[in-house]
Parts: sequence; C-alpha cells; structure tokens
Amino acid sequence: METVLPYAATVLILVGIYALFALGLNIQWGFGGLINFGHVAFMAIGAYAMVILNLYGVPLALAILAGLAIAGSIGALLTIPALRLRADYLAIVTIGFAEILRYFLLNEGWLTGGAGGLIGFSLPLENIVPAEHYDLFLLGFIWGALLIALAALQRLAKSPWGRVLKSIREDEDVAKVLGKNVSSYKMQAFLLGSILAGFAGMMMAFYHSYVNPYYYYPIETFYAWIIVILGGSANNRGTILGALVLWTFLSGTRFLSPLVPLPDFTFAALRMALVGVLLIVLMLYRPQGILGNRRELTF
Amino acid sequence: MIDYVITGITSGCVIALGAIGLTLTFGILRFANLSHGDLVAVCAYLGLACERFLNNIFLAAIGAIIGGSLIGLSFEKVVWRPLRKKGGSLVAMLIVSVGIAIASRHVLMAIAGPGLYFYEISAKIFHLGDIRISSVQVLVVAAAVIAMLFLYYILQKTKLGKAMRATSDEPALAKVSGIDVNRVIDWMWIIGMGLAGLAGFLYGLQTSLRPDMGFHLLLPMFAAVILGGIGNPYGAMLGGLTIGLAQDISLIVLPSQYKVAVSFVVMIIVLIFRPRGIMGKVT
Repeated sequence: METVLPYAATVLILVGIYALFALGLNIQWGFGGLINFGHVAFMAIGAYAMVILNLYGVPLALAILAGLAIAGSIGALLTIPALRLRADYLAIVTIGFAEILRYFLLNEGWLTGGAGGLIGFSLPLENIVPAEHYDLFLLGFIWGALLIALAALQRLAKSPWGRVLKSIREDEDVAKVLGKNVSSYKMQAFLLGSILAGFAGMMMAFYHSYVNPYYYYPIETFYAWIIVILGGSANNRGTILGALVLWTFLSGTRFLSPLVPLPDFTFAALRMALVGVLLIVLMLYRPQGILGNRRELTF
Repeated sequence: MIDYVITGITSGCVIALGAIGLTLTFGILRFANLSHGDLVAVCAYLGLACERFLNNIFLAAIGAIIGGSLIGLSFEKVVWRPLRKKGGSLVAMLIVSVGIAIASRHVLMAIAGPGLYFYEISAKIFHLGDIRISSVQVLVVAAAVIAMLFLYYILQKTKLGKAMRATSDEPALAKVSGIDVNRVIDWMWIIGMGLAGLAGFLYGLQTSLRPDMGFHLLLPMFAAVILGGIGNPYGAMLGGLTIGLAQDISLIVLPSQYKVAVSFVVMIIVLIFRPRGIMGKVT
C-alpha cells in the first residue's frame, strides 16, 4: 500500500497536468478547428518565464501571472502570421516554432541554463506545507485548478463566444458573412489555449522543482493531440478522460517492463511506437474518440 | 567560405531529393506528410543493413531506394487508401502522418538501439587548388543529379508523368478524363519514397545515423517545398538546394545549433510575402 499510494498520486498529478495542457489544445482544435502542432512551446514558455522571473527575485505569485501573460501573448502574436495560412501550413509553422524555441532553450544558457536547466525557484506554499506531503498538496492544487478550468470552459463552450468559435470551425466564410471578426476569435482561442498550456508547464515545473529543455520535445504536443482525440474533440470532459486513459496506459505498461525479456530502452521505444499506432488506428476507426460527437468533427 | 558552399550543395542535394516526394504528396493528395522525414531515416538504416550484409555501397543505395518505394506503397495500401475511402479529410491525413512518424521512429529505435552507426566507406580527398572536395561529396552530387534527370524524364516524357502532372494540377478533371488516379498515387509513392530512400542513404554517407535524424530534415524539406511552390518537383529541387546553401552559409555568422532555424525563417518569409513560392503557380 505504501508504494502504491505515492505511485497513484504521481500518475494522477501527471493526468491533471496533461489534462490542463490538452484542454488548452481542445479550445484551439476541438472548438476552433485550428491545428496547433507546437502546443508544447507554450508549456515551455510559461514554465521558463515563471522560473526565470522568480530566480531574478520576482515574488512567485507575480511570476506566475507574468508567465501566463507571456505564454498567452506569444500565442496570440504567433497567430498574426500563422492564421492567414491554410490549415496544414499552420501545422508546419507551429511545429517549427516549437522546435526552434527548444533550440533556443538549449543554447542560450545565459538566460535558460542551457541543457542543465534551472533549479532553485520557489514552490507555492512550500513554507507551510510539510515537505513529505508536498506531492499530495500539489495533487490537490492541480486537480482543483483543473476542475475550475473545466467549469469555466464548459460555460464558455455554451456561451455565444463558444458558439461563434464552433461556427468558424464549421465554415469560416459563413461566420464572416454574419459579421464576426474571425481572426480575432482565432487569436482569442490561441491566447486562451496558450495560457492553459503555460499553466500546465508551471505545474510540471513545480512537480519536478526543475525545468530543462528535454521536457519539451514535440512528442508532448502529440500526447495532447492523442488525449483530445481519444476523449473526443470539442468535449472538455472527454479530454480529462483521455488524459486518464493515456497516462494509465503509459504508466501501466511501465509495470510490465520487468516482465518482458527486452532491454529497457527497447521496451520504452516499442511502447512509444504503440502510441503512434494508436493515433493511426483511432483516426481510421474511431475519429470521434470515446465521448465525441461524430457530427462535431471537422474530419 | 567555399567549404561552406560545398557542404551546402551536398546537404542541399539531400534536402532536394527528400523534398520531391513531399511536394508530390502535397500536390497530388493535398496534405503535408509529416512522416516523410522519419521514413527517410528508416531508409538510411535499411541502406546500412544492406551495406553490412552485402558489403557493397552501391547495393546499399539500391536497397535504400527499393526499401523506400516498398514502404511508401505499403502505407498507401494499409493506411492511406482506406483513410481516403472513409472520406478522411486533410486534417485526418495530417494526424495519421504524425502517427506514422512516431511509430516508425520508435520502431527504428527499438531495432537499432541507442548506438551510433556509420556507413563504412573511406573517402578520398581531392585538392583543386585551395578547394578540398571529398569523394563522398562528389558521389552525393552525382547521385542526386542522376536521380533528378531520371525524374525529369519520367515526368516530362512518359505517359505516367503526364498523368501525374495532370492529377496534381486538377484531380477531379484528371479523374473524369480517364486517368486511373489510384495508379498515379501508387507511382507517386514509389517514386517519391524511392527518392526519399536515396536521400536517406546519401544523408547517412555524410553523417552518423540516428533514429531521430529524419525529424531534423523535416523542417528544411518543408521549407524547400514551400520555397519551390507546393506540388512543383522542380521547384522543390531548387528550393532544397537554396535551403541547403542558406543553412550552411549561415554558419559563418550563426552558431550551428540554429542551422534549422534558418530554414524556418526562410519558410515564414516565403509564406508571408510569396505564398506560392519562387516557381509556383497561383492557386
């Protein structure tokens, strides 16, 4: 029991973080139909901005707010050149942006600590919460934030704002004819999604009490995609379910590793190959995911 | 300076060969195939396996080319055609291509392991005055030129090439005028992925083989495709060469880690100011 409980807590922390991260993508892709293949960049920006500011002496609460603002505004700025593009160009531009940001984090050591990363920033309420219970505190904090985000997004999805965004996804020209400022809505979707990604990145930073560029490979973005598609695009509750399913799979298979006569490296690689296959099979046989509505699909 | 130009040309040849398959898919199937880079890497390893077992560098090249074609054709039969039959949209194809990229890269990792591999060839160095050129560089450029002439012949002089160009220009019209579009698509994969196989082999000659090497080629290849005008194979060749040169010449002023960033910046500039590329037609 003693080992199972912390392990379950760890998995639930990761589920919470990735659910927040994927909810951000769900605003952009599920509701807005925007293909963001560089979502991980905003996770990195949020985390690094918060950490760097805090290390320069900015109080943590302010650093968190500033980090969210920075992640959101860079997300919105990126849409200026990118949203004029066709869907597939947007995919290439965003994935490229995320990769170049990763090179930047790796190489500008004067600011980002380079490959060694950054350590020694403050954690929320670390003076009050006893260290041995800190993971449990973080678990509660992350899930609290997740439930608040879910409630807010559910309201937003049903609001006029959410309906306009969905109409843009279905047919941009119709929304335009009705006098809606399509670019502005897309930009807001990107802003909101990037803020959520930034927040998820900060939670990850608190969880590891460490940031380094190796957390931000493109695969993280595609975890979010798998989560959103698995749960059902444009379904916020489905996104949380998707995160739960993906992390149960990823951590559950880790238990199998000692039982399989393969080197760890090989086993880990095959597990990831399976994630890729899952994506293909989902798109071929159940593109609406577990809870999704087939009529709400843009594909 | 001249050294940078020479390595720029050789890496440009690799990017160009890879970009041809990418632009053909873009032109005919209308989607950005994000698995293309990782499949280039798979082909580089296939070439390596041929070299180890057959002990011959030319058979290795042929193995990589045939391997590429077969992989392209298999994915067409198992994934792409069923997806098109179900009416999978551009976005569905984009996401599936990510799935193929992740799966093939990690299968490669599982088989090859974490180690570094090299093609075992001994390069001779030629001196032309102050300029040093290695036999590998000559081989790369020669192979790329032959492959491109071959592609030119197919596209311009054969009936298949005509059908391919027609399908790329106007798929609906091509279909009603009696062109067997599925056959054209089969050949598109055979040719495009065969050239990708050659690209993987030639890339492997110049550097060490790593399972994620293909992903690093993806951005430069896309930059080449967009620079050359989507769906235009000659544009992709020119674009590839330009991107290769731009990346290597940038080393004079930029640290090498930002090489790929150069192709990204070129791509963004082209997308904003001239989205149809330097040789593209208006769409």
